[in-house]
Amino acid sequence: MIVVHPENCTGCMRCMLVCSYTYTKKFSFSASRIKIREYRAEFTEDCNECGKCVEQCFYGALEMVK
Amino acid sequence: MSFAGKILRIDLTNCEINKYDSDLAKNYIGGFGFCAKLACDNIKPEMDPLSPSNPLIIGAGALVGTNAPATSRIYAFTKLPANGAIGWGGGGGVTFACNLKFAGYDAVIIEGKADRPVFITIEDNDIGICDAEDTWGFGISETCQKIWKECGEGGIMAIGQAGENLVRFSMMYVDRLSTVGRGGIGAVMGSKNLKALFVRGSGSVEVKDRRRFDKAVKELLERMRSYPYLKEWQELGLLKSLPAIPRDVYLKLRKRRIACVSCPIGDKDVLELDGEEIYTTSAVNLVTPAVMGMNYKDAMRLTAKLDEYGMDMFEFLGILNFAKELSEKGKLELDSEIDFTSLDSMLSWAKKIALREGTGDLLANGFTEMEKKFGVKPKSVVKGLRAYVTPKGPLIWNLFGTMELGQILDPRGPHVAAGGSPTYFAKRPPESFRKHLARMGIPDEKIEEILSGGIKIGKLLCYSHIWFTVLASLGICARAQINRFYNADICAELYSAATGIEISKNQLLDRAKEVWRMLKLANFRAGFTREDDLPPEDWLDDGFRDYVTGEPLTKEDVERMLDEHYMEMGLEEFMRR
Ligand code: SF4
Ligand code: SF4
Ligand code: SF4
Repeated sequence: MIVVHPENCTGCMRCMLVCSYTYTKKFSFSASRIKIREYRAEFTEDCNECGKCVEQCFYGALEMVK
Repeated sequence: MSFAGKILRIDLTNCEINKYDSDLAKNYIGGFGFCAKLACDNIKPEMDPLSPSNPLIIGAGALVGTNAPATSRIYAFTKLPANGAIGWGGGGGVTFACNLKFAGYDAVIIEGKADRPVFITIEDNDIGICDAEDTWGFGISETCQKIWKECGEGGIMAIGQAGENLVRFSMMYVDRLSTVGRGGIGAVMGSKNLKALFVRGSGSVEVKDRRRFDKAVKELLERMRSYPYLKEWQELGLLKSLPAIPRDVYLKLRKRRIACVSCPIGDKDVLELDGEEIYTTSAVNLVTPAVMGMNYKDAMRLTAKLDEYGMDMFEFLGILNFAKELSEKGKLELDSEIDFTSLDSMLSWAKKIALREGTGDLLANGFTEMEKKFGVKPKSVVKGLRAYVTPKGPLIWNLFGTMELGQILDPRGPHVAAGGSPTYFAKRPPESFRKHLARMGIPDEKIEEILSGGIKIGKLLCYSHIWFTVLASLGICARAQINRFYNADICAELYSAATGIEISKNQLLDRAKEVWRMLKLANFRAGFTREDDLPPEDWLDDGFRDYVTGEPLTKEDVERMLDEHYMEMGLEEFMRR
């Protein structure tokens, strides 16, 4: 499960960039399964919890909890 | 490949919108280089900067939109109202630059003048020119809020009241968090009746060779992750190297750290000062007026207000200094006292200038006009703009390094961005130079030449400019905490992998050099000669000191550096005859 810490989010969108790139081979905001709104991450139904976005977050705003 | 491939051209006079393909990237790298070429082709020497014909060219770099770290930059080229130079401003692109690429454009060129206040919306293929009557007169934050409310998520470039009123040191702001300025770029927007640009892209950016690209990005990210000062930089940003306020005071005020899209070491902030939210480019900027004797809270309030008006703080303080000097000489009558330690005095002057009230109307015209009117030369002013660093501060040493020389040689006038090198800090050990210079791609024998018998500042500056041009053309942020992870090899590798335009390190550096030469020569044709590159008189003899020997800097020292620089850059036109 991915736990979100919105207080640490900077809006860098590295999570969105990597998600779209992983699943569509292109960088975009539109195809990302994680959406950042007002510095709070939300996941779409397609998210498979692969954890790529967590790896790309440098600020501790996303955390993978087993 | 990682280029969007299209340029958008909008003529505000007759609401004409054109989109066209361009292969300029091939020879001009992308982003900065590409826009520089568009500027040199489209700006004529005789153009009045505030006339409808002066184009405003805004573009994003070759890697913008990808996940290469901190590839967020946005650049705007135009003829600068402060001095008539074919110049530019650049800033962290926050969410604007990548959205422009996702919408399908590498650059947008804005020409003409709308018959009423407007803002432009760019949503993929849909381009709108919308009424901005209800935001005209608003500050930067208010304008952004209103547009976001109306249009939803997206990047915004906007001006405040200073730009509307054609203040010659007004700036454009990106998402209220970055400045694109110096030289009055805000006034160019104002002269076109253009309050803001809004952009949202639903498209994407691709890279040509994913495996190669991913490998280079992975390596960069790993190095960033294992950087021992990563946490400290993330926590403090520029305050790490310039501790303008104590750490605990700053952390208490900070509500959120903000980063431009793709940046792992963001340094923008939302602060809360006595219940009021302040969005800022950096906390260091925010407290800068404290050097004039204000307490830090008042300094922050003043900078926040100047940011709302959309006005360059350095220029604002500089012009007030000059006005004070003129009034003490009995040449100028002021309508109220200028007191740098009083917030009330500073706020009243900020308002007067931004809204052109009373004497503020005159001050808003900037140094060039003031000098002409009063026949007095202002101190530390180069090409009509106040230098960032002067022998009297704000740095605590007065050594003449590449940043200092860069301020007089930059074709657009003094700026912090283009003269970066280890000379930024006094008395760096020679080894730090060698490492830094190799990273910038300078060949070994050149490094020897630069470092032998002291440091050849003029020659070194040539490579600082080239390195800056590489980063800017790729869209990589040049701030110290980012720049340090990149080198010329990685840049060439990322560029080749992303764009499919195969380029070697040396080819990349050569193209960057050509871009800088082109800008310098275009300005030469617009009337900027060696004379304009000479230092202000107060920098000499009892001003700056030689970086290596510490001896007072003489005019001849600087002339020698200029020749050394022009020779290395291939700018014979500027050489001593
Ligand atoms: S966990 Fe994987 S699929 Fe879900 S949002 Fe993150 S990267 Fe996308
Ligand atoms: S969750 Fe992390 S990666 Fe995503 S925008 Fe926030 S800080 Fe950036
Ligand atoms: S270092 Fe600052 S300006 Fe540069 S990309 Fe990061 S947040 Fe933006």
